Amino acid sequence: MPERTPEDRLREEYFDLLPEIQRVAENLEAEIRCNILPISRRLHRFEQVVVKSRVKECNSAVDSLRRRQKGGIFLPHRPQAYTLLDLKDLAGARVLAFPRALLTDLHEVLRHQFSRWDRDPFQGDPLEKVGYKYSGFLDKVSNRVRGEFQIVSMLVGLFWDVEHSTIYKPTPELRGVEQSLPMRDRTQEVLSSLAAFEEEFETFRNEVRKKTKKKRKA
Amino acid sequence: MTERMEKEQLLRKAGYSYDPDREAYVNRKTRKIFSVDYLEDHDTSEITRKIQEATQGAKWTFIFNDKLPDAVKRELTKLLDA
Repeated sequence: MPERTPEDRLREEYFDLLPEIQRVAENLEAEIRCNILPISRRLHRFEQVVVKSRVKECNSAVDSLRRRQKGGIFLPHRPQAYTLLDLKDLAGARVLAFPRALLTDLHEVLRHQFSRWDRDPFQGDPLEKVGYKYSGFLDKVSNRVRGEFQIVSMLVGLFWDVEHSTIYKPTPELRGVEQSLPMRDRTQEVLSSLAAFEEEFETFRNEVRKKTKKKRKA
Repeated sequence: MTERMEKEQLLRKAGYSYDPDREAYVNRKTRKIFSVDYLEDHDTSEITRKIQEATQGAKWTFIFNDKLPDAVKRELTKLLDA
């Protein structure tokens, strides 16, 4: 019988953990929804806040752990050295908001609610211009499986969804393409364009608000 | 042209291609491999110097930010030579 690889052991670990991962994802989504209710209740018609949760898929989790190792490989002779519990995002939730100005309010509420969680900016975004990311444990749910939540602009979040589902999900061998130097540049350009679009929208929105206030006063 | 594109062109001209699985640029002829993190953290003159550096014969040269343990180098060599 061939020896079991680190990947085999990790896949087995994944299915042992799956019910717990699902519980963390469900509870995380529920806690977020509950805490942002004061914001979602008073949204204007054009404003939107969407909360989505997801459980990281098995192959994606194993691949993600592999990429975090030195040299991007698992050493076959020490399979017990690896565990999926090292991943911060086995269970994840994403809060999408439009327009971007809502991110600050959402962040304010959630950072207090999850004050013991680690603040963990997105790769290449130390100033948190793209959004906010936190990870930690939901004490009543699991002390092994960490959860992660992100607060990002809806346009950015939808771009990531499309990018992921059209490129990387159907063709796992293309995972990692986004890290190439030209793709990092292009992705940066997309994020900058989306930010510029939203800034322009905010400018118009503020002008319209001022005009409406003036009219009311008159 | 952005700095990243300059680095990309430099590597392409020197015979490197991107390996998405390793997230690294590889040249099988000169047996050198640059990690993307290293390329992000170093300027073009340093990368040029590393490209031009003499190779170690049949051994692979791993140009990463962190020093790789020998066991990792051995495994990576197997994968790169497969």
